Amino acid sequence: MKQTLMGNEAIAWGIVHSNIQMVSGYPGTPSSEILKTVQKIKDDLNLDLYAQWATNEKVGFEVAYAGAISGQRSCATMKQVGLNVASDALMSASYIGNKGAMVLISADDPGFHSSQTEQDSRVFAKFARIPVLDPSTPQDAYDFVKLAADISELFETIVMLRPVMRVSHAREIIQMDDNTDFKKTENRFERDVKRWAAVPRTGRLAQGYEQLQRIEKIASYNWEKFLKPEFKNLQGGKLLILTSGTADGFVRETLDDLGLSADIVKVIMPYPLPTKEIKNSIKNYDKVLVMEETYPCIEEQIASHKIYGKNTNTVHKIDEVTKERVLKALQNIGFYKDKNIYEAPKIDFGFEVPARPPALCPGCPHRDIYYSIMKVFKKKKSIYPSDIGCYTLGLAQGAIDSILCMGASVSMASGFSIANPDKTVVASIGDGTFFHSGIPPLLNAIYQNHKFILVILDNSTIAMTGRQATPERFHQAIDIKKIVEGMGIECLEHQYSYQMDQNIEFFKKVKKKYEQNKTPTVVVVRQFCILDNPRAKEFVPNIFAKVDEEKCVACDQCTTVYKCPPMHYNENGKIEIDPFLCAGCAGCLEVICPTDAFEIDKRDAK
Amino acid sequence: MKYQIVIAGFGGQGVVFLVKVLAICAGNNNIAFLGTENHGMSQRGGAVSCDIKIGDFKNPVIDKNQADMIIALDKNESLRNIQYLKKDAMMVVNADESYPEIPFQLSRVDVNKKALNGEIPIQGLNVYMLGVALKNEKRFPFSINEVKEAIKKINPKLSEQNFKILDKAIKES
Repeated sequence: MKQTLMGNEAIAWGIVHSNIQMVSGYPGTPSSEILKTVQKIKDDLNLDLYAQWATNEKVGFEVAYAGAISGQRSCATMKQVGLNVASDALMSASYIGNKGAMVLISADDPGFHSSQTEQDSRVFAKFARIPVLDPSTPQDAYDFVKLAADISELFETIVMLRPVMRVSHAREIIQMDDNTDFKKTENRFERDVKRWAAVPRTGRLAQGYEQLQRIEKIASYNWEKFLKPEFKNLQGGKLLILTSGTADGFVRETLDDLGLSADIVKVIMPYPLPTKEIKNSIKNYDKVLVMEETYPCIEEQIASHKIYGKNTNTVHKIDEVTKERVLKALQNIGFYKDKNIYEAPKIDFGFEVPARPPALCPGCPHRDIYYSIMKVFKKKKSIYPSDIGCYTLGLAQGAIDSILCMGASVSMASGFSIANPDKTVVASIGDGTFFHSGIPPLLNAIYQNHKFILVILDNSTIAMTGRQATPERFHQAIDIKKIVEGMGIECLEHQYSYQMDQNIEFFKKVKKKYEQNKTPTVVVVRQFCILDNPRAKEFVPNIFAKVDEEKCVACDQCTTVYKCPPMHYNENGKIEIDPFLCAGCAGCLEVICPTDAFEIDKRDAK
Repeated sequence: MKYQIVIAGFGGQGVVFLVKVLAICAGNNNIAFLGTENHGMSQRGGAVSCDIKIGDFKNPVIDKNQADMIIALDKNESLRNIQYLKKDAMMVVNADESYPEIPFQLSRVDVNKKALNGEIPIQGLNVYMLGVALKNEKRFPFSINEVKEAIKKINPKLSEQNFKILDKAIKES
C-alpha cells in the first residue's frame, strides 16, 4: 500500500506494523507527531495498544522499558534533549537489556531549528553502547522501525532510531504493509532478580562484560547484514564517500547536480561499526570522505590517515548539511574544482527586508503577563530566569534573562537569589514544564528557604509542540495550586484578564507578599492558549484594535515592550495593526500605549 | 519531470496546507516527491517556508539557485527566500504595488486588498495564491482538477468554498 506521509507519521505506522504494544514518550520538536499519530491509528483501527504521553522523557522511557522487560514490544519517543532527561534510565537499561523489543526514538534537530543544542543522539547511543539506525528519508524511517524492533529482540538490547528534523518533518510517498495485523501479545514479566535487579559490583560487572560481547556481535551483524553487501560490488578508486542519514541524499543529489560520480556506501547503522572489516574494504581507495550529521560519529570510529571529515576540517562541523556544504567538502578534498553552483546573486531591493523573529502569537496571554511582571518588577531591580516552552518567546519583550533546559528556571531562581540578594528574582515556567521537571527544584527551594518569585503560567497544554494535554487537563484532581500547597506554602492564584490593569494589580499584591515572605512566593496564573480550540473561545473577547494615527507618537513602546506581531510601522511612520493578524484579544487597549493610541476597531467579529 | 517549489509566508497563513495539497497531488499521480517544512519556534506570525521537490530527488531541502517557483503569501517572505530561485524561474506573490523589481518572472496579486474589500475571506489567501500559480506558471506540475481533488481530500467540508476561491483566482489573474 502507498500513502503520502510525513516522516513522523511513517514512523508511527512502522510502530504499529512492528506490533509494538506500548508507546510512551514526551513531546518535543521534531518528534511530537510520532506518538500523536500512533494514538490516531489506535483510535481509527480500534487497536488494543498503550500510547500515552508521560510527564517527562525519563518517565516515558521507564514505562516503556518495563513493558520490554516483561516481554512486550515497546517504544519510547522523544527529542534529542529529552534523551538527556531519560539518559539515567538508558545508561543503566543498556547493561540490563530487554526481552521484548525496545525501540528508543530520539529525533535530532541539526541546525538548532527549535532546540537549545545540536547534540547527535548517535553519539549518545555509542556512549550507552546500544545500536543506532539512521534513516535518510521517511521511507527509511518506516522500514527502520521494523528493523530496530527485530534487532532489539534478537540481541536483547535497546535499539535507537535517530531521525533528524529533515526526516521527521519531511513528506513523501511511503510504501508500507498492505494490512495491519496488529495482535495483542500476552507476554508477562518473568522474575529474574539477578538480571532485572543486578547490583554493583558483581552483578553489574558481569552485565558489563555481556554488554561488550553483545556490541561486538552487533558490529558483526552490521557487517554481514548491511555493509558487506554494499562493499561487495565496489572496485576501489580515487574517492569513496561514506554517508549516514540525510547526508546520503544531499551527497547523491550534489554529485548528480555536478555531473560527478563516486562510490557511495550508506551506513544504516552508524554504531557499532565493524571497524576492521571497513578498514580492509577501503584499502583500494585513495581517500574516504565521511558525510554525516552532526558529530563525527562514524569518522571517529574508523579514523585513519585516509579518512576525511569534520575532524580534518574537510566537512562543516556545525549546522545542517546542505548541497552547498557537500560541494565545498568535495572541493576541499580535491574532487571538484569548478564553481559553486549553489551561489545566488545578491539582489538589491533598495531596502532591507525586515526580520521576522519568532514571537508569541497575537492574543497570547503570556505577553500580557510578562508585560505586567516587568511593569511591577522593574528590569533594573530584577532577574528573570525562564524556561523551555512557548513563553521562551517572552525574550522578544526583554522579559527573560536566562534559558537553560527544562525546569531550570526554578533551580536557577534559587541560585540567582543566593548570588544576588539585592535583586528580586522573578522566574517563569509553564504548567507542562512545571510537571516535567519544575517540582523537585521547588521542593528544594522551599526546604532551603530561597527567596524568589515563581510564576507558573498555566494554560493547561503543552502549547509549543502542538498542544498535547498536560496532566491536569483531563485529570482535574491534579492541580498546581494543591501541589504547591502540599509542599507547605501558599500558592497565589490569578485568572488572566485582557484588561491589563487587573494583571498589574495582581502582581503588585504578589510584590507585597514577596517582601514579607521568607520562602519562595509561588503564583499560578490561569490562562489559555490562543490556538487551543475550542477552549480559547471561552476566553477571547473578540475586541479588535486599531491605531489612532493622530495620537501615535512612534515611541516604540508597543513594538519593544509589548511586541505583538500585528503591530508595525506604516509608510507614514505610524504604528498600524495588521487586521488579518490581530486576534481580538484586546490586550493592547489599556496601559501599554503612553498616548492611548490604540482603540477599538468596530468591525464584525471574525 | 523535476520541479522544485518553495512556499513562503508566516505562521497562520496556511503555508503547510499548500504543501499538503501538492504532496497529495503527487501521491495521487504516483509521482515521487520529497517535501519539508521550516518553521522554527513560533506558531503564529513567525516566518514559515516549505520546500517541495517533485520528481526523483534524494533529499527534501531546496538549495539556493535551484527552485523553479516560489509561491509567497507575503511580500517580505517572498524577498527573504528569493535566493532559492534559479534563473528564469517564477515568483508568485501576494504583495501591493510597492513590490520591487526582480530579475525573475513575476506574478503579483494584492490579495490583502481583495480581502479588505470583502472579495475573498483572508483565510482563503493560500488557495487563492495557488490558483494564481496554476494560471500563470505554464510548467505547473499539476492540473486544476488534480489540485481540486487534493483540496477535497484534505478537508471535504471546506472544499466547495476553497474551489470557489481557486476558480476566482484562475479567472482573475
